[in-house]
Amino acid sequence: MKTLFKKRLGAHLTELTKYLRLVFNDYFVLALVFMIGGLGYYYSNALKQLTTGLWWAPLLIIIVLLISVQTGRMATLIEDPDYVFLLPKEAELIGYLKRAFWYSTILAALMQLLFWIVLMPFIQVTVSASAPQLFSLLGTIIFLKVAWMNADFARKYHLQHKWMGNRWLFRLIIPVVVLAISIYVNYFIGVILAAIVMIGGLFTQNAWKKRSVDWQTLIADENSRMHSIYQFFNLFTDVPSLRGSVKRRRYLDWLLHKIKLLPDNTYLYLYAHGIIRDNEMSGLYVRLTVIGTLLLVFIKGEVLPIVLCLLFLYLIGFQMIPFYFHFDDNAFVHIYPVTTEFQLKNFQRVLLMMMGTVAVIFAIAVIAVNLTTPVTVIGVLIGEAIEVGLFIFMYVPRRIKKSEFSR
Amino acid sequence: MTLQISNLVGGYSQVPVLKDVTFDVKDGELVGLIGLNGAGKSTTINHIIGLLTPFKGSVKINGVAIDDDVKKYKQQIAYIPEQPIVYKELTLKEHLEMTMLAYNLDQNEAWKRADKLLKTFRLENKLNWFPDNFSKGMRQKVMIVCAFLTNAKLFIIDEPFLGLDPLAVNDLLNLISERKRQGASILMSTHVLDTAQRYCDRFVLLHDGKVRTEGTLAQLQALFPEAGKSLNDIYLTLAREGEAS
Repeated sequence: MKTLFKKRLGAHLTELTKYLRLVFNDYFVLALVFMIGGLGYYYSNALKQLTTGLWWAPLLIIIVLLISVQTGRMATLIEDPDYVFLLPKEAELIGYLKRAFWYSTILAALMQLLFWIVLMPFIQVTVSASAPQLFSLLGTIIFLKVAWMNADFARKYHLQHKWMGNRWLFRLIIPVVVLAISIYVNYFIGVILAAIVMIGGLFTQNAWKKRSVDWQTLIADENSRMHSIYQFFNLFTDVPSLRGSVKRRRYLDWLLHKIKLLPDNTYLYLYAHGIIRDNEMSGLYVRLTVIGTLLLVFIKGEVLPIVLCLLFLYLIGFQMIPFYFHFDDNAFVHIYPVTTEFQLKNFQRVLLMMMGTVAVIFAIAVIAVNLTTPVTVIGVLIGEAIEVGLFIFMYVPRRIKKSEFSR
Repeated sequence: MTLQISNLVGGYSQVPVLKDVTFDVKDGELVGLIGLNGAGKSTTINHIIGLLTPFKGSVKINGVAIDDDVKKYKQQIAYIPEQPIVYKELTLKEHLEMTMLAYNLDQNEAWKRADKLLKTFRLENKLNWFPDNFSKGMRQKVMIVCAFLTNAKLFIIDEPFLGLDPLAVNDLLNLISERKRQGASILMSTHVLDTAQRYCDRFVLLHDGKVRTEGTLAQLQALFPEAGKSLNDIYLTLAREGEAS
């Protein structure tokens, strides 16, 4: 069982490095360096303005440390089929999970250290804490994190006493109380309390480590953890495990309800539902829109904003074209008595909606930033209108015809 | 007595799906668990394999409940889920090795048995393939091979026939008979009633979280003389009756 964890951890780390290499490409690293540099500069400037005794400073410290304690979940690396294949080994699973627990705890403790280092100057300035006080605060958050992790461990078993794995208790209530005591009353009482909670928590292991495993929670927890990791990576690159995942997005139903249920709208119905609910498509769309808008907000000039705006608009439209064929491997659409003429028309309508929305958002960004240059204001409006028209009604039909041949 | 379920009340959250379920599976016996969708078959199975804990009542295998001794309890079970579930990154061979490790099987002996099983299910030339890419029926075969590799005393088989080709169904039934002769107990849930009628020793009919009736085919026929001769007829009559009430 111990070797199994080692093996899984190895595979997991290889996968993470693969994605991290894609995330930390040259441009992103450069942007990150500037961002950290900028933030650091801002932070050090802000510190000079601060004095001891601000009423909100202790509150802010508690909130930041509370966030710090929430970072890092228990990485069990359990997979879906485990509940069938490891069924007879369940009694020995504790050895595997203990390794996972300590691995996750050490990583989480390093995160606490990082938060502590960043926050240290702020604490020194605003509440003028001494070195021993600061170190006991570090101990407090690490001990709280161990107790947090232990509760996350406990809930993966069928507990006799449910409170041992209670999330509210170990994630929020105890940390808030202990941190408040640390900051407002006494740092040393805080660290002692945290240590007691941690040791008590670890002692509860004796109560549940021989009980049966709650496979459903175990598997669901790990899947949700991996899902959030993949979601982060998906901001930078295409993650295969996320592909094809579908979200309900009930809040956009009003858009879909606008479609009249006529035979001519068959494809409109499909495309609209598909684009809104398919994570890959809507993710791409939102990502490019957000990046484009952010870029345009920061760029002033006469021609450059227009060029960038048109470029992003083209990129977004271009990425949407393959969606035309999205339903082609579904047998239903070939059986429906609908002509392809309407397929193209419906697709163009969806594109018009989507590109039109982006065009408006971009236009607002460009105009807001460049209000003083009328040429840019008028240029961006005319340019967008021409581009959207040409793209949807000239380029897309040709492009689709071409790809239809090559398919 | 291998599996003994007594007064089991249970389910997923606070709302019980199973209301006072009691039945048993004896040594060398194949019991068919039948019932409509949502009657509680899978919930019962999830309780037996320890995915769920009982609100009330108990599940015991050879006198051991899961809370008495997890290890002793679990080592007696082999389980074939309704939806075949395999590791994405493991080959067929590695799945077999994983099973051997998990059940502490002697490698030499287990491989002899594995070769035989693989041949039976025509998988012997796919050892280095990834079952994740197999069809549903083929993945189901992988699950069957893994389960019958073990020396489990109790086999829990959830709806095994869907997606299997007729030859494989027949081979599976032969495997079950062979294990029965060796004294293992088998609990099988299924909707394929004519097959169940021919092979199961006894039937437990679940309806709405309760055991509606149980017994051998002859006993069921005697209990419901006007319902018809075959298990199918009896089942349909009882199911309609249950819906009406």
